[in-house]
Amino acid sequence: MVREKKNSINQPAWGATAASILNGCFGDYLNDRDNGLAIDMAFYQNNRPLELSADALPAACPNPTDKLCVLVHGLCCHEGVWDFPGDLARSYGRALQHDLGYTPFALRYNTGLPIPYNGQELDTLLERLLAVYPVPVNDLILIGHSMGGLVLRAACHYGTGRAAPWVGKVSRVFYLGTPHEGAGLERMAHLVTTMLHAVPHPVTAMVGDIANQRSQGIKDMRHGTLLAGGEFTGSVPWLPSARHYLIAGTVTDDPEHLAAKLFGDGLVQPPQAGEHVKLFPGVGHMRLARDEAVYEQIKQWCVSA
Amino acid sequence: MEPRTLRQIRGAKELVEETVDAAALAINEAQRTITRMPYAVLARIGPIATPVRAIEQAHLKIADSIYFSIRVGNRLVGNMAGFVLDQLDAHAQRKGHS
Repeated sequence: MVREKKNSINQPAWGATAASILNGCFGDYLNDRDNGLAIDMAFYQNNRPLELSADALPAACPNPTDKLCVLVHGLCCHEGVWDFPGDLARSYGRALQHDLGYTPFALRYNTGLPIPYNGQELDTLLERLLAVYPVPVNDLILIGHSMGGLVLRAACHYGTGRAAPWVGKVSRVFYLGTPHEGAGLERMAHLVTTMLHAVPHPVTAMVGDIANQRSQGIKDMRHGTLLAGGEFTGSVPWLPSARHYLIAGTVTDDPEHLAAKLFGDGLVQPPQAGEHVKLFPGVGHMRLARDEAVYEQIKQWCVSA
Repeated sequence: MEPRTLRQIRGAKELVEETVDAAALAINEAQRTITRMPYAVLARIGPIATPVRAIEQAHLKIADSIYFSIRVGNRLVGNMAGFVLDQLDAHAQRKGHS
């Protein structure tokens, strides 16, 4: 039953999943070598890149609305991360389209490339999207999962810097499990590779070298680097014309539990409580991208004045 | 077969080839370093120092030749796979033109 549904909406197959994982781990290397497995950033529909041209886009969006929703996945993932496990035809994008009339565009990109680079690429891509979109856009919401949230912030920063027309259309940005302050797991990986190199033995040095081959995209997660040149997120202002919503999860149902304090949602620590911050206890990192309760919160924030 | 799929298969082939080559080089280097350690200790014993160095050189040459064979074999398999992919590519292009 599930298999039939999966085929009918042409979900990314295992090959795309394997390529996305490879891109996340070694994407900068693949890109440098011009390897055929390197993913070029594009909006994907039915496991195929959308051609951003005035002729092709109307066929992909037969019922365009003046409200767009752009979904940006996280490290080692592709747009399939948004599909609900029990109902592969349902995702935040499709649900927002059905409930609030947002036309969804799901991005697929090489998550191993530096976050600032992907931010610049997304800035350009959004400009092209709005230029060829069949109707004028009045509202644009951005949803980023994990690293996707950092890419969105970088795109907003670069778009603002060059006064890109799409930036003014952004009303809301949702960050799901985004490591704005950096990811503990990558800090740990950095520490381990440093220690392996400090041990004067050829085998530990070799293991350290192998571990150090991880992509720049992963390394950028250490501090949540958004800008080229190593500046951290703290120095990048949040897009002032938009509202920003932070959604986080914890590994345990009790957010005060030691495991939740230590591991957050399994990969990312929750942000400090605030007006536009919502914590979902018991929702792990990956489930933040496909959870009914999270969707209801996004929807509620979308309709709020 | 679609050009995109062929491009990905070629990419996977190149990645495997490069990984095997890099791994063979790195392991060879690590093994050389580890191999030298006991020989360095034994070579300090004056009467057996000369034969120890000769054995060490033979040992390293054998190990090097094994890793060299792995890299050459890897390159050969890679070239053959590349040839097959070229044929598939040409076939797909002919099919596209006709």
